[in-house]
Amino acid sequence: MKKEKITCKEVMKHVCESLGDNLNDEKCIEIRNHLDSCSQCKEYFKSVEITIECYRKYNVEVPEEAHGRLMKMLGLED
Amino acid sequence: MSNIIIKSLVLNPKLLKIILLMEEKELIQKAQSGDKPSLAELVKKYEQTIFNFAFKICRDKNYAEHIMQETFYSMVKSLHQFDHNSKLSTWLYRIVANHCLMMARKAKSRSFVSFDDDDNLFEEKYAADWSSIPYKDTENTELKNILDLAIQNLSPDYRMVFLLRDVEGLSTEETAEVTELSIPAVKSRLHRARAFLRKEINEAFSR
Repeated sequence: MKKEKITCKEVMKHVCESLGDNLNDEKCIEIRNHLDSCSQCKEYFKSVEITIECYRKYNVEVPEEAHGRLMKMLGLED
Repeated sequence: MSNIIIKSLVLNPKLLKIILLMEEKELIQKAQSGDKPSLAELVKKYEQTIFNFAFKICRDKNYAEHIMQETFYSMVKSLHQFDHNSKLSTWLYRIVANHCLMMARKAKSRSFVSFDDDDNLFEEKYAADWSSIPYKDTENTELKNILDLAIQNLSPDYRMVFLLRDVEGLSTEETAEVTELSIPAVKSRLHRARAFLRKEINEAFSR
């Protein structure tokens, strides 16, 4: 029986499930081959990576007054 | 420390990690025996991480400060129970997670996206030009607003898994430990959160 070809939707789901994991099993190799030849899925993969990067880069610093209030509350002022 | 030792530590990140963990263990032991300067050093070491993480969950600086205070208050109170079986950072993330979940339960009025039908997450009505999204501009207010709005539609447990695993860089096992979820539950929350956030950004930039 001929093995059914993987669909783009399956690839997208798999990208979201496995991003960052070790992609060496048989299914992952199939996904990687699909990504190499499908520009739509390649773009999807890139867009998930950008999504994560956006949240990684969005940082805030502890305001100096908040640091002071914390140390005072804990009785650990300099 | 001599330059040769510093250079060899830079070349051997595993060894450097072990030395830093040993130094931290010593600091914790001193703090556990009541040494205030060591306790202050531990608070200073982690306050930025904790404030930032709390902000990323609640997207509000006042709440983030409140959670940071509660977290370190709990840390000071319970540090004697810390047994070094997990990393101090993992232990602190768990305290933050508990406080955030407690706050979310108190403010129950908010409704969150439900994931009854996974397929919706992968259907595209719009297609944004991702190359035009200013993701390298960390101060872009429009992007920040979109990121804040999108993540607030996720329920706190999905938000927490995404932030711990993808943003803070914890392993799947550590994320499961902090959130007290099974590994399959972490994986399923993570893939839905990634797909949902990606979809929200895609739609926001297609308008």
